[in-house]
Amino acid sequence: MIQELVWATSLTLMSMLALVFIWVAFRARVELADYGPAIASAYRKRTWLFGIAMAVLIWANYETLPHLPYVSSFVAQGSGAQVQPVEAIAEQWSWTINPSNLQVGQTAEFHVTSTDVNHGFALYDPEMRIVAQTQAMPGYINKLRYTFTTPGTYRVLCLEYCGVAHHEMAADITVAAR
Amino acid sequence: MTIQADEVTIRANEGRSLVSPRAAVLAYLVVCGLVLLLMMLLGLTMRLAQAQWITVPPNFFYVVMTMHGAGMVGITGLAGAAVMWHFVRRYVPVSTAVFVANLVFFIIGAAFILGAGFIGGFAGGWTFLFPLPAHSGELWSANAAASYMIGLLIIGTGFLLLHLDVARGILAVYGGLASALGVEQAFGLAPEKYGPPPAVTASTMVSIVNILGIILGAGVLVVSLVNLYVPSFTFNALLAKNLIYFFGHVFINATIYMAVIAVYEILPVFTHRAWKTNRAFYFAWVLSTLMVLTVYPHHLLMDFAMPTWALVAGQIISWMSGLPVLLVTAFGALTNVYRSGIKWNATAGLAFLGVAGWAIGVIPAIADGTIEINTVMHNTQWVPGHFHTYLLLGMVAMFLCFVTYIGTTGSSMLASVAFWLYGVGGSVFVLAFLSGGAVSVPRRYAVHLPEWLPYDRAGSIGAALVIVGTLIFVLGFLARLPSVSASGSDA
Repeated sequence: MIQELVWATSLTLMSMLALVFIWVAFRARVELADYGPAIASAYRKRTWLFGIAMAVLIWANYETLPHLPYVSSFVAQGSGAQVQPVEAIAEQWSWTINPSNLQVGQTAEFHVTSTDVNHGFALYDPEMRIVAQTQAMPGYINKLRYTFTTPGTYRVLCLEYCGVAHHEMAADITVAAR
Repeated sequence: MTIQADEVTIRANEGRSLVSPRAAVLAYLVVCGLVLLLMMLLGLTMRLAQAQWITVPPNFFYVVMTMHGAGMVGITGLAGAAVMWHFVRRYVPVSTAVFVANLVFFIIGAAFILGAGFIGGFAGGWTFLFPLPAHSGELWSANAAASYMIGLLIIGTGFLLLHLDVARGILAVYGGLASALGVEQAFGLAPEKYGPPPAVTASTMVSIVNILGIILGAGVLVVSLVNLYVPSFTFNALLAKNLIYFFGHVFINATIYMAVIAVYEILPVFTHRAWKTNRAFYFAWVLSTLMVLTVYPHHLLMDFAMPTWALVAGQIISWMSGLPVLLVTAFGALTNVYRSGIKWNATAGLAFLGVAGWAIGVIPAIADGTIEINTVMHNTQWVPGHFHTYLLLGMVAMFLCFVTYIGTTGSSMLASVAFWLYGVGGSVFVLAFLSGGAVSVPRRYAVHLPEWLPYDRAGSIGAALVIVGTLIFVLGFLARLPSVSASGSDA
């Protein structure tokens, strides 16, 4: 899942950066006789680092921006997939989801809104990992598409703090095998 | 204007206050140290409750959560202001009376907020996301919500006065905010050696962004206040969210940009190397000024009703905003320390840790600012994971560096112990949050599932270590306070 990849990559990069700081801290006890050449060399390295950082920045945005979760992007890309509309209405502190029984292979288009305050519509798979989410806002209908690939009971949790029973605001969606 | 004239102006300005500048800074440090500890204890309370090691009723948990959030944002703002003011007054004339007024405003505002939470039961979250304050489910009154918002407005007024005064002082010496930011040096229009000192550049940036942020934040607070008593007066919830996150993002980021002045000024004392300001340094600060003001849509990536271009811009600017931190400030600290012959103590260590925490925190923050990743990470514990990395291990470490520097308490064995408790505990604490986020543990939940408890328990242990470390630093400072007050030196 994407979460594992992000966690492993972040942890690796964070550890590498931490090691650089630790290495410099331990090496700092011994004074360099002539600081000039060292600093000149460091600035040359920084120019290289800037180039690498810009390349990573451009690559990462080029790779990820085509995968926007917004329905307007699907439409712009001409995706004509058949979708099953699903109403998801939030109010303190419950969800009304209709229909709540779906099938594997179906692409649900959740029409998410709220009758009172801001809520967050987060879809958890049967392993309790988030697979999609959007905000539920009064006055707006946010459209979220998700194609179910695994049968089981999916859980909808509220992920925007909405008052003192926020953690109890949950609902189930049952996805049957074909 | 000659340097001599500057000094005369600075002294004349300070002379009009009943409190000496040094006493005012010490008063800030006492208040910040104590409130910081109190807010950390509230944070630990939440982690212990989630870990099921103590029992806290959910309605009280959310009061604690609201107080912790508002309190931490406020106290880090105040702590950053203490650092900024202490150093910027070496270069520009600022008013001690205004500085003291900000502290008084803060204490009065904090009383309103604490009353709203612990007496009135207000638990609307520190972000007071419209229209939640008016929809309590009968658990808090309109008056409690109003008390919270009035408290924020009072604190904001104090900060606005302070930033306007710092901006006035900067304009008096540099003639324009662009000159004080180093725009000419950034674009090669003036020699680097005539550029403003880092403390002035940082203070200018913070004045620009915080004046704008506080005014817009006050606007949405007033609208929310009216809505409390006149429910028919409504406001677009998405616009309110934009204004709140603009204010919140700017204000909390400004705390780091103020605190980093301590690194610029204190680390060179230990390395005996001046902090090198060059074209890249000024360019980074100019870019950061623009990006802090424009990056806030990355808080709204899951608000599908937002214009897509704004959200895409939010992602790209999030990535770009990491560059100045990593390639200028972090790189500057590394080169300043490299083979310098430094004699480490807790003060120098906290300065270095502060930059490391800030830089390392950028990595999970950029991840979360990527729309595809935000889809599965937004409002999970990944979020407090990344912001605690650059605030707890970054900003607060920089502030504690300043505390030990002013208190001259950084060289004791106890301070070394506190440093390691803080650094190791803080690392455990943030990694527990990040790993919890990676398995989709929601943030801001009073009750956790059994499978989430190991993360909560590791986080609780980390938080407890951080608190012990901070307690040692704060108590050490308080014990030294009489002699530090009497010494009259500028550390």
